[in-house]
Amino acid sequence: MAIDIAHEKYPGSIYAVEIGAAKAEGGSRESVIKVGGETTLPFLFNEGAIPNPPVVGLEVFDCEPLEWPEGLTREFGDCLKDPIRWAKRCVGEFGAKLLCVRLMSVHPDWGGRSSNDAVGFLKALLGEIKTPLIVLGCGDAQKDNEVLAKASQVVRGERCLFGIATQGNYKTLAASCLADGHSIIAESPIDVNIAKQVNILISDMGFSPNRIVMHPTTGSLGYGMEYVFSIMERARLAALAGDKMLSMPFILFTGQEVWRVKEAKESATLGLEWEIATATAMLHAGANILIMRHPKAAMEVSKFIDVLMKKE
Amino acid sequence: MEKFKILFKPDNVEVEADRGEVLLSTAIKAGIYINSSCGGDGVCGRCKVIIDKGKFRTEPTGRITQDERKKGYALACLTTIEGDLTVRVPAGSRLDIKKIKEEDAKLLRLKGIYSQAEDTPEAAEEISLKEVFAHSPLATKIYLELPPPTLDDKVSDLERLYREIRKAKDVPIMQTGLTNIKRLGALLRQSDWKVTVLLGKRNETTEIVSIEPGDTSTKNYGVAFDIGTTTVAGQLVNLNTKEALGTKVTHNRQVVFGDDVITRIVYATEEDGLEKLHHAVIDNINEIIRELITAHKVNLSDVNGIMCAGNTTMVHLLLRVDPKFIRMEPYVPTANFVPTIRASEAGIKINPRGLLACVPGVSTYVGGDVTAGIVASGLDEAEDLTVLIDIGTNGEIVLGSREWLICAAASAGPAFEGSGVSCGMRATNGAIQRVSIADPQTVKLETIGGAPPRGICGSGYIDALAELFLHKILDRDGRISRSIKSSRIRSSEAGLEFVLAFKDETAIDADIVIQEQDIENLKRSKASIYSAASTLLRKLNLDFKDVKRFYIAGGFGTYLDIEKAVTIGLLPDLDRSVFKFIGNSSLVGSREILLSYDAFLKAEEIAKKMTYMELSVEPGYMDEYIQALFFPHTDMSRFASIRGA
Repeated sequence: MAIDIAHEKYPGSIYAVEIGAAKAEGGSRESVIKVGGETTLPFLFNEGAIPNPPVVGLEVFDCEPLEWPEGLTREFGDCLKDPIRWAKRCVGEFGAKLLCVRLMSVHPDWGGRSSNDAVGFLKALLGEIKTPLIVLGCGDAQKDNEVLAKASQVVRGERCLFGIATQGNYKTLAASCLADGHSIIAESPIDVNIAKQVNILISDMGFSPNRIVMHPTTGSLGYGMEYVFSIMERARLAALAGDKMLSMPFILFTGQEVWRVKEAKESATLGLEWEIATATAMLHAGANILIMRHPKAAMEVSKFIDVLMKKE
Repeated sequence: MEKFKILFKPDNVEVEADRGEVLLSTAIKAGIYINSSCGGDGVCGRCKVIIDKGKFRTEPTGRITQDERKKGYALACLTTIEGDLTVRVPAGSRLDIKKIKEEDAKLLRLKGIYSQAEDTPEAAEEISLKEVFAHSPLATKIYLELPPPTLDDKVSDLERLYREIRKAKDVPIMQTGLTNIKRLGALLRQSDWKVTVLLGKRNETTEIVSIEPGDTSTKNYGVAFDIGTTTVAGQLVNLNTKEALGTKVTHNRQVVFGDDVITRIVYATEEDGLEKLHHAVIDNINEIIRELITAHKVNLSDVNGIMCAGNTTMVHLLLRVDPKFIRMEPYVPTANFVPTIRASEAGIKINPRGLLACVPGVSTYVGGDVTAGIVASGLDEAEDLTVLIDIGTNGEIVLGSREWLICAAASAGPAFEGSGVSCGMRATNGAIQRVSIADPQTVKLETIGGAPPRGICGSGYIDALAELFLHKILDRDGRISRSIKSSRIRSSEAGLEFVLAFKDETAIDADIVIQEQDIENLKRSKASIYSAASTLLRKLNLDFKDVKRFYIAGGFGTYLDIEKAVTIGLLPDLDRSVFKFIGNSSLVGSREILLSYDAFLKAEEIAKKMTYMELSVEPGYMDEYIQALFFPHTDMSRFASIRGA
């Protein structure tokens, strides 16, 4: 007698979020990326649908990155000094389908370039690169409110993903994104309840939930990754159980987390493997977008996603 | 050491001070009570004074604006004395120890427990105390005409007295102090064998407290107290007739040493700290007694008994018992059940031989005030599941029925008592207690006593938050909107603020505002109370929906809008008829226990049978708390009836 295997049925689903707008939609992107939309836990094809695979994006700055370890910088060579060239290599040579631009140069500790200069760079990049874009500020709340508002206007209609909104500072960014047709990253400090609160606050401003992506704040392998995993899992289970205000896809800045740990700084090989290991673990926690730094790590993880997405 | 003269205005009190002395300490020494939520750490910025004349040194602080500094403003806790000074204490910095007016007090007395819905005597009747406790007060007087001894009836004077007392009253165990025995022989003969004995209840033993010549039996009074972390209330009671004569409420003077019990316990470990805390509360008590007896023409020597209900730390400080073990693992107090002592031993000035009893407490953080509240509300006899929450600095939650009782303490902070918030004040004359907002520019206020506003009390804050939230001036996180155009919304050094009353409408020569920081404090208070109740219920596999009655106690004056309290998520979203605002149930219970030994035994029984749950070690509590840090709540399905939720 055949054994009937019990399958979990979830009432909820994750919102599908699109990044990038093609010409027909008023943008200039040659491709559009769709994430989310699943009705089950990661890679459990028997229990629900996973219409969109997780996606890996590479990160570029608008200036030469400070404090990147040598193991990482040597992969890029001197193109790091020329961010446009750096971005082109990411797409052309390393096959990135998604680019995450961090406007670091406006940060007071990074030279404090004027926001107009940073936005000028973004405009130039938009003409050179045809992949969908994620645009981040420098991490200084005041500077970001200024630069991101301008950046949002410059890439109006391109349906970029903008970040980062927090519980304490979300209104300015949300208002810009709403006006210019972008999506937004909502950040919380590894806490399901606060994640939900930020999503509600942003929704209350008129954002439709399929334009919000959650950043749960993560850590690297060996630095509290298990805790992050269980928090993400808890949020995902709540979403699948029907909690709409937790049903947004996850974005994780894996590269940023990994390349600041001691092991990655000590050895290039270890760093590469560390980033791959962290990223693959996070895929199983429910990550929809992984922003990575080492091109080889990004390519490896992309291949791994292809394997995982084969249903057999 | 060089001495200087410090003159405090507008009180015109002058005291001497040493060079280098901190101005805040000098003020306390002078009997001038200045706000100081942080206990003098320079953090809260509430002890602003204006130095008109003289040499001083003051540390720079962000709490004083440039403009204020030019006008001579300084924080008293950061200022040291370098010469003779003239110091003005502005109204806003003054700890309001003025009393509630007698009319207000009457209201409190008549409706010690009253319904919030209809503030009428009928509504008060509904849940007012049933006459369940026999009249047997802490102190009783009996007038006796003793048969003089004869050759046939030669029992001793003392046995004669005992014999006659027992004829009048059933008192199996009696004792008398040597002081009384020494006087007895002469006293009985001088008063022609006609005396009044004052009997005191010391647990199972009845003590002959004193013997007075002639018939003084009609003069027998007591005072019931509720000693809260932030507020002290006392009620004068005729122990013979059970009539409550009047109530006085004041700020706990210990507030200058810190806002919450933990800060006070820490302060008690400092040099003279325990002594100062003890004296502060004793001063409160003596002052209240003095004012009550003056108002009601009662002699101090006829006040024979005091009953105190307070949280465990307050009772320790009252009795000058070191509270330090309360905050050391495994968190054990010195005593929950304190034997009755002579009030004079604690420094309380009544009849020198009068008694002081304390309502039995449950645990480290749940004291006699809660037991008294249960006695008053009758929760221990409820047929159905009932919740009692006491919204105070040390917020307590009791859950149960006639079959079982469980309680927890939520460290809510003093925000709802009007402390630790920029324009907060107690529920006294001039406190804003009702707020309605028509649009972001139009605000309607109602103050206690109809006086020009001086500050905002707990119910005013609840109203204001709910109204600001419903008009979308606040987001769910409690931040004020920048995009709404109104002259009432403006920036300050502490972030955005909303002006409830402009300077020219107030009695304090300053705007009355709600700052984002205040909202944050209030949000934490409401979250800790709601989450304590929800955690307690969840622990027992119950839900708010199972609660059939919900009593809310607290010093909110005469008014609490249940709808608004639900809107901000302080109370759960239940059918509003479930809720009853019962005012200061701790004071009512304390009075009842003062009047009846049966009620005292009931309190003892309640304290023994109640289970205490320590929230800080409860795994789900933090999660519940973070969820409640939102307006009204992160889980919006729990507040389905709230517009915008």
